[in-house]
Amino acid sequence: MPARPARSRALVLAAVVVAVAACFALNRFGAYLVHSVAIAAIGALALNLLTGFCGQISFAQGALVGIGAYTAGNLGNAGWGLGAILAAGLAGAVASLVIGLPALRLRGLYYAIATLAAQFVIEYLFKIAEPITKGFSGLIVKPLVLFGRTLASDQAYAALAVGVLALTWAALARLMRTNVGRAFLVVRENELVAKGMGIDVARTKMWAFVVSGFVTGVSGALLVFTHRLATPEAFELPLSIDQVAMIIVGGQGIWSGSLLGAAFVVLLPEAIQRVGEAFDIAKLLFAMREMAFGLLIILFLMFEPRGLSALLRRLARWVAGAVSRKAPATASPAAASAEPLGPRATLAAPNTRTQSGGST
Amino acid sequence: MKRHIGRVLLAVALLAAAPALADVNVCIWGTITGPDALVNGMSYGTHDYFQYLNQTKGGIAGQKVNALLLDGRYKLDEELKIYRRCVDQENAVVINGWSTGSAKALREQVQQDAVPFVSETFSSEVLDPVKYPFVFIAGATYEQQMLIGLRAAKAAGAKKVILMHGDNEYGRAPVTVVRKSGEIEKMGLQLLDTIEFRYDAQDLTAQLARVKAANPDIVYIQSSTPQTLVILRDAAKVGLSPKLFIGNMYNISPTIPEQLGPAAEGFRAIQIYANYGDPIPAMKEIEAFKAKNTLAKQDLYYMKGWFKGKVIAAAIESAIKKNGGKAPADIKAFRKSVRDELENVKGLDVGGITPPVTFANHQGPTQARMSEVKGGKYVALGDWVNAQ
Amino acid sequence: MFVLQIATAGLATGSVYALIAMGIVLIYKCSGVVNFAQGAYAMIGAYAAYGLGSLGLSPLPAAVGAVVIVAGAGALTELLVLRRMLKAPVVAVMMVTLGILIFFRAVCLAVWGADPIAFRQIFPPGSVQIAGVFITYNYVAAAALSIVLSLGFLAFYRFTPMGLMQRCAADNSRAALAVGIHVSNQVSVAWAVSSGLAALGGVLLATLNGLSLGLSSIGLVAFPVIVLGGLTSLMGSLVAGLLLGVLEAFTDGLLTPALESWFRAHTSIYSVGALQHVVPYLLVGLMLLVRPQGIFGRRGTERV
Repeated sequence: MPARPARSRALVLAAVVVAVAACFALNRFGAYLVHSVAIAAIGALALNLLTGFCGQISFAQGALVGIGAYTAGNLGNAGWGLGAILAAGLAGAVASLVIGLPALRLRGLYYAIATLAAQFVIEYLFKIAEPITKGFSGLIVKPLVLFGRTLASDQAYAALAVGVLALTWAALARLMRTNVGRAFLVVRENELVAKGMGIDVARTKMWAFVVSGFVTGVSGALLVFTHRLATPEAFELPLSIDQVAMIIVGGQGIWSGSLLGAAFVVLLPEAIQRVGEAFDIAKLLFAMREMAFGLLIILFLMFEPRGLSALLRRLARWVAGAVSRKAPATASPAAASAEPLGPRATLAAPNTRTQSGGST
Repeated sequence: MKRHIGRVLLAVALLAAAPALADVNVCIWGTITGPDALVNGMSYGTHDYFQYLNQTKGGIAGQKVNALLLDGRYKLDEELKIYRRCVDQENAVVINGWSTGSAKALREQVQQDAVPFVSETFSSEVLDPVKYPFVFIAGATYEQQMLIGLRAAKAAGAKKVILMHGDNEYGRAPVTVVRKSGEIEKMGLQLLDTIEFRYDAQDLTAQLARVKAANPDIVYIQSSTPQTLVILRDAAKVGLSPKLFIGNMYNISPTIPEQLGPAAEGFRAIQIYANYGDPIPAMKEIEAFKAKNTLAKQDLYYMKGWFKGKVIAAAIESAIKKNGGKAPADIKAFRKSVRDELENVKGLDVGGITPPVTFANHQGPTQARMSEVKGGKYVALGDWVNAQ
Repeated sequence: MFVLQIATAGLATGSVYALIAMGIVLIYKCSGVVNFAQGAYAMIGAYAAYGLGSLGLSPLPAAVGAVVIVAGAGALTELLVLRRMLKAPVVAVMMVTLGILIFFRAVCLAVWGADPIAFRQIFPPGSVQIAGVFITYNYVAAAALSIVLSLGFLAFYRFTPMGLMQRCAADNSRAALAVGIHVSNQVSVAWAVSSGLAALGGVLLATLNGLSLGLSSIGLVAFPVIVLGGLTSLMGSLVAGLLLGVLEAFTDGLLTPALESWFRAHTSIYSVGALQHVVPYLLVGLMLLVRPQGIFGRRGTERV
C-alpha cells in the first residue's frame, strides 16, 4: 500500500501481527472458525479479482480449490512444506488459465456456462483419477511441516491462514496499482475502449486468470491441511456458488467485501444454529439456514449490489452524522474510522458490472 | 484490514461463549437435513434414549445427561466444525459422529484428543482397535454385510453376481475391498460386473437395462435407501424381478415397500437391528417414551440409535461407578475411562434390538440376518447368523 | 433389443428435459434472463401436487392445481424480483435466480422434510412389450404427454395471437411497444407459462422417479440442453432435449461399459463413475468453442 503514509502502513502491519498472534489465544472451535473464514476469504479475494475487478464471472472456483488441495495434499505427503503450498498455487494458476482460454472468445453468459461446464468436468475427474486423488475414499493428508516444524494445532493453522490472507490482500491491492491492475478495470468496463486505449485485452484477461488461479490454489492447500482429507464431494458446485455468494454479499470490486462476505457466509449458519439452540427451536431452524442464504443473495443483488461493504460504510456515515449532530466535538474520530474503506471502494465503478459490454 | 479482523474476532468471541456445564455431556451429530437424512433415526434414537434416561431414571447413575443433537448436513467441513465444538466447547465425554468421510478425516485427531468416538459408518477403514483405540462403530462392516448377502444367495443356488453402488465413498470403497479380496470367487460365485451410478441419481433405467443384458442370478446393492428406491423402481421399468436384488442394512427402510408396493415384493436386505415395533423389551421403553414425547422417526434406524444409546450409557455408567458414584471432574480422565468401559462392554442385554453385545472388537454385534419384503413388510428369514 | 430398450428410456427422460428447457428458453427469449430456478419450479410443482393430493384431491386435479399454483408463483417471482432488476448485469440476474432456487429448496425442506416421498401414480400400473422392448404405461404416458405438450406449445407460439404477441415482445420490445403490446405483461405471462411447464415436468418426473428435493437438480441438467439447442430456439430445446436424453442413456448403457472394460484392462481405474452426468457438459464445452449460438440459435442474439 505505497500510496499511504508509512505510519498507517506500520499500523496495518502491527494489526496483522496482533491478529496472527491472537489466533493462538483462541480455543479450538474459535480457531477453526477463524481459519475457515480466512481460507474462504482468500478464495473470495481471488474471485473478486477476477469478477469484481476484471469482469469475468466464474463458477469453477470449487474445482480450482480442489486442484490446489489435491496438489498440496500429494506433495505434502511426499514431505514438501512451503513448496507444497506454492505448487498448489501454480497448479491452480495453470488450471485457471486453461479454464480462462474460452473467455477470449466468449463473453458474459456464455463464458459463465463454460465455467460451469469446466466445474462439472473437473469434479468428475477428481472422482475417477484414483491414482492421484484416491477417488471417493479420499486422499488422507499428513499435517503440514513448515520450516522443520509440524503444524498440529488448529490455532497454528488459523494463524497461518490469517497471515496468508493478509499477505494476499496486500499483494492484490498492490497489483491493482500497477498498469496490469488498471488494465483490469478498463477491461471490466468496456473491452472496446480497452482495445482503443492500446490494452492487450487477451493478455490482460490471462493475467487475471493466472493470479486469481494462483491465490485460489493456495486457499485449497490451506484447506486440505486442516481437513486432513480431500474428497471430491468437498469441491463440488456448491463451493463455487458459496464463493460467488461471498463476493455478492460482501461487495464486488471491494477488497474488504471478500472478507466480510466470507465471514458472513461461513458464520451465518453457525449463528442461526446458536440462536435456534438458545430458543430451543434448533430443529425448526435447520431449514431456515438455507432459506436465509438464498434470500440474502436475492436481497443483496436487488437492493445493495455493492454488498455489505457499502452497507457498512453507509451505516458508519449515518452514525457519524448522528453523532456530529449531537456533539460536534466527538464527531471526527468516528468519521476518521469510516475513512479507510474509502480509497479502496473508489476502485469500483459507481454501478458495478460483473459483465462487460460488447456482443459476440 | 485490522478493523475487519477485529470484527471477525468479535463474532468468534460471541459464538464461542461457553455453554452451561452439565454433568455428563454427550454430543451427537447426524444428517438432519441433507442427502442421507432418511436414516437419521440413528441420531434421533440415541438422543432420545438419553432423554428417556433423564425422564425416567434421572439420568445415568443419578446424573443428568446433556445430549446435544447437531446437523452435520453430510458436509465434511460442517462435520469437522461440529467435532471441534463437541470436543472443545461442549466438553463431550462421548461423541457420536456420522459420515465415513468425517470418521476417516478425524481418526487421528480423535486419537490426539483421546475422546471416545462412535461413528455411524460401518467402514472397515476406521475399525482398528489397535491403531484407533478411541474409534467405535456399531455393527458388521459393509464388507461383512456384503459377504453375508452373497453367501445366502450362493446357498440358494446363485452363480453369477453383479454389484451396484453409488458414486461416493460409502458406495465405492466397500465394493472395491470385496472385489480385490477375491472372496467372491472363493465362494464359487462369478462376478459379472460392477455398476456405479450417481449417488443422487433419479433415473437408472439404462443401468438396469445393462443388468438385464448381463443376466445375473443376484444383484447386491451398496447404496442408501433413496437410490435403492430408484433401482427397484427402474428394475420394474425394464422388467427385472425385485427378488434378484439384495441390499445392506441401510435398505431395510419401510419406505421401500410403502413407495413401491409390488415392485418391492421379494427384495431382500441385511438386518442387523430389530424392526421398529418388534415384540422386544426395548420396544416397551420406546413406547413409554413415545407416550410423552414425539418421535422424529419410527424405523429400524431409530432402533440402531436406541441401541447405541444403551451401549454408551452402559459404558458411562460403569465409568461413573468406578469413580465412586460420580463423574470424574477431569474430563480427560472421564473420557479415557469411558473408552475403557466401552471396550469392557460384555454380553450387554440391549433389550432384544440385537443379541447381547460385546464391544471388545470395537464394532459390537457382528450377527446379521436376511430380511425379505413380504406383503409390504420386512420379514426375517431365519435367525441371526454371525458374520465371522 | 438392448439398444431399443435404452433408447426408449432415453426418449422418455429426454422429453421431460425438453419440457423444462423450453421454459428456460421462453424466459430467456422474452426477458434475457437465464433462469437457474427452473428446477425449483419443477420441484415445487411436484410437491404442490403431492400436497393437494394429501388434502384429498385425486391425482389429476391435483396435478392441474399444482400447475396453476406454480404458474402463479412464477409470475409473482417475475413481478417481485426480476422486474426490479431490468438494468442489472446478466450474470447478476443469473445469480438471483440461483438464490431463488436455494430459497425454494429450503421452503420445500421446511414443509415436507428431507426424506423422499411416495408420489401417487397418475397413470395406471402395468406394462406392454413391443418388439421385445419392455415399457410401463407410466413411461409411455409421461413421454407421450411431454412430447405432445412441447409440440402444442410450439404451435401455440406460432399460430395464436397471444403467441404472436409474445414472440413480438421477445424479438423487438420497442416495436412491440409501438404497436401497443404491453411488454412487461408479456414477460410476466412468459414466466407464468414457463413455470407452469416446469411444474408439469416436475409432476411427470415425480410419477416416474418419485418425489424428493433432488428433483430441483433437473434445472442443471436442462442447462446443456438449452446451450446445445440454442438459447433462443424453442424447437432447438425440444430436439436437443430428446437428443441428450438418448445420449445419456447410451452413455450409461453402452459407452460406460465399453470404457470400463478398457480401463480395467489397462489401468488401475476400475470405474468411470457417473459419466452420463458429464458427457452433456463436455458437449457444451465443445459447442461453445465451435458454435456458441447452438444448433438452432441465431447469431448475435446474446443480451449484453
